[in-house]
Amino acid sequence: MLQLLERIAADAADWTELRFQARQTRALTVRNGLLEASTSVLQKGVGVRVLAGGAFGFASTTDLDEKGIRAAVAAARAAARTSAPAKRDRVERLADAAFGRGTFPVDTQDPLRAHSLEEKLSLTLATEARVRAASARIVSASATYEEIEDEKVLVTSDGASAHVFDSKPSFRVLAGARAGQDQSLGYDTVGVTGGWTDLFAARSADELVEAAVRLAIDPLSAPQPEGGTFPVVLDPELVGLLCHEAIGHTVEADIVLGGAVTAGKIGQRVASELVTMCDSGLSPYDPHAVGTLPVDDEGVVAVRTVIIERGILRSYLHNRETAAHYGVPPTGNARAYTYSDNPIIRMRNTYIEPGEAETAALFEGIRQGYYLKGFAMSGQADSNAEFMFGVREARRIVDGNVGALVRGATISGNAFDVLKSVDAVAGDFAWEKGAGACGKGQAAKVDAGGPHIRCRLTIGGRQE
Amino acid sequence: MNPSVLELCRSGIAAARRFGATDAEVYGISADTTTATIEKHDLLMAKTQRETAFGVRALVGNQVGFASTNDVSDLERACREAALLAKASPGDPSNVLPASGPIVPVDGLYDVDAERYTTDRAVREAIGILEIAEAIDRRILIGDGEFSFRRSERAVANTRGVGTDERTSLFLYSVLATAKDGERVSNMDYQFGATRRVDRIDVEPIVRRACRNALDSLGAEPCGASFRGSVLLSPQAVESLLVGLILFQVNARNAVRRQARWADCLGQRVAAPTLTVVDDGRLPGGVAASAFDREGSPHARLTILEEGKLVSLLHNAYSATALGQQNTGHAAGSAQSVPAIGPTNLTILPGSATKDELVSEIRQGLLVTRFSGNVDPVSGDFSGVAKGAQLISNGRLERAVTGTLIAGNVFECLETLSGVSREQETIVNLTLPYVRVERVSVTAGTAC
Repeated sequence: MLQLLERIAADAADWTELRFQARQTRALTVRNGLLEASTSVLQKGVGVRVLAGGAFGFASTTDLDEKGIRAAVAAARAAARTSAPAKRDRVERLADAAFGRGTFPVDTQDPLRAHSLEEKLSLTLATEARVRAASARIVSASATYEEIEDEKVLVTSDGASAHVFDSKPSFRVLAGARAGQDQSLGYDTVGVTGGWTDLFAARSADELVEAAVRLAIDPLSAPQPEGGTFPVVLDPELVGLLCHEAIGHTVEADIVLGGAVTAGKIGQRVASELVTMCDSGLSPYDPHAVGTLPVDDEGVVAVRTVIIERGILRSYLHNRETAAHYGVPPTGNARAYTYSDNPIIRMRNTYIEPGEAETAALFEGIRQGYYLKGFAMSGQADSNAEFMFGVREARRIVDGNVGALVRGATISGNAFDVLKSVDAVAGDFAWEKGAGACGKGQAAKVDAGGPHIRCRLTIGGRQE
Repeated sequence: MNPSVLELCRSGIAAARRFGATDAEVYGISADTTTATIEKHDLLMAKTQRETAFGVRALVGNQVGFASTNDVSDLERACREAALLAKASPGDPSNVLPASGPIVPVDGLYDVDAERYTTDRAVREAIGILEIAEAIDRRILIGDGEFSFRRSERAVANTRGVGTDERTSLFLYSVLATAKDGERVSNMDYQFGATRRVDRIDVEPIVRRACRNALDSLGAEPCGASFRGSVLLSPQAVESLLVGLILFQVNARNAVRRQARWADCLGQRVAAPTLTVVDDGRLPGGVAASAFDREGSPHARLTILEEGKLVSLLHNAYSATALGQQNTGHAAGSAQSVPAIGPTNLTILPGSATKDELVSEIRQGLLVTRFSGNVDPVSGDFSGVAKGAQLISNGRLERAVTGTLIAGNVFECLETLSGVSREQETIVNLTLPYVRVERVSVTAGTAC
């Protein structure tokens, strides 16, 4: 396929990018003692992007012989030519880039294919059974194993040529608890870029069960929080969420050009000087973060990008088009989820660098506040950095001590105001390593993390 | 001549049987999609996609496996893999395929004019979105948007006699508007529109709505004081706050999973008598209308809630068998997943009061244009940000507010629901009124 795509790219009259992708997704879901799904999905095809007359055109095909791919090139070129007269801000050029060339295998000692369907099914069945057996209050349970394996061939007419393999397994455990009419759901997930043992190096299946059951049962008798603005300690997962969802999207250069609040603020203070925030295709501090990738889908090496350095906004996240617009090198953030998606600017592993404080010291000095842990899988952030997130586990802090659980907490505010309010950054670090994906018209497997931090934000709750 | 999608589905059934399946179902789709995308208030690109996909469910007794492929030449391998997965799987007595039922074609699903629709016209519609927004107010930025058209042929066949297909055309359009005035940036506002007919394409209403909502939230100030009171939800807020929970509760799969509180409430009152909810898979002009569901069962009109009483859950063949109830033909999903359960064209029937009359009866409250938050569909607890919100005092809209959180419980909201508007808006496949709910906690946030 590499030679075929290179041959077609060499014949292209306009700048042309060809991306073959074969994705095999397998999933097993066991719920309440029954196998709900055992699935295998193959998606393969070629996506073609052409830049002609100052506009991009894109076409995808599942016809993978030379004739079919050349027809897709012609369709993409025609789409570009059709768009060009209507495009206001022409794409004059693409930034020069450091292309990743060669073959990039999966970084693992234990590939998923070395483990049988029976082994994976057995683990999923046993894990779900352990949830149901954990407590009489558990009324529903599920466990899901999913693996996504990709093979990509990336070629551009200006020199990119890479053969990339990827492997992203994940495991989810869900527990439903009931006490009278009161019901609640608890869950925990783990996901990595890597193989089988890499998946469970972060959290074992038993640890996922323990967390899901606890998070289902504990809220049953818990009150909702009082609404208001409080000092809080955020755990690494929520720090990562804030980095990714509330800050990260506002520094994606396409969003910046669309009117995000970060426009024109390079070099300005946007956070406490304790905050240094990055996005990287690597997995610093702890290997196998979900968003790890060697090259992006424009064939560009996926480097570490410092977004905020000691509180000062230093960089946006770029593809080759926006990098040319801003006169900077591309940062390797162009990603496409499947062969039929065109590459757009996406994050990879987004995080705040660890600080120097002891984690325990963050809680000291908080007379009345909250310790907020994990993401409740709901929320949204605007391009003005205003955000709202559900919190999976919220506990009151009273006189420096972590105490009672409250249920249904949400946090909101402006992410940059929150980062400006950061007055302590711990020296610890963790990736979320979850099973979810980021959505921006198309999905992307990403990771986010950081240390514990202390800041101020608004908590939604009951008013009496 | 290439075989039709239905013929390929039938060949897949035969293949699955050869590999040991006792029963089998193959769902297939072939579609051409063209999209003109807007980004950064400019045309981003035009995009074409030709896709074919098949989903194979193989049963060996009551053991089931599923495999999907988007490569026609790979269909036989997918059938073999589905059968292998079935053989390796534990059984479940509710794993059944539906028997064939009377399929009555739905008029208006396919517009022959769509065959002559071109990429160039899609690009012109996308540019039209920008021009309409600019004519409304130069402070508006369309950060994202698209105009797409899709022609598709889908089919499903199984070993119990199901074998049906249909063609559809669909035009979908969306806008995400933000208003920017100096340093002030408004909330984003999303709007969607859809039609199956070329002569019904009209992007202007959604552009106007998105622009109005974005401009209304520009310059909003914090709410001031927190309180507990009435909240009037726009149709879009009704979708995100109420409809999601209603659909979770009436999805029979969640009753099977023992996650739905309403599982045992058929015939009982679960909401105020002003609330009636229907789903109609054959709704004339409905963008989710079609003759049959993902399993090939016929679509029909179904009353879900009638004057607050739960009348029916939404079923596919699995949940109907598991619960011993009637299959309602609500199997949903793509060729790349096992059939789930979902609504078609869902409507909350209108009330008698106007939106303004509902506002006039509120002493202290909030109008919420969009809800961005967390609704736990099991407990009903919700908490989140009221977007594009306006404070209501003594029966009048007073001013736009920002950073305001609302919290409460959706089950309680449904029981204490105090008004449904006469006006409705259609959001793709949902037709919803304004709804007034009571005793919602409103927390004033900080300036954003």
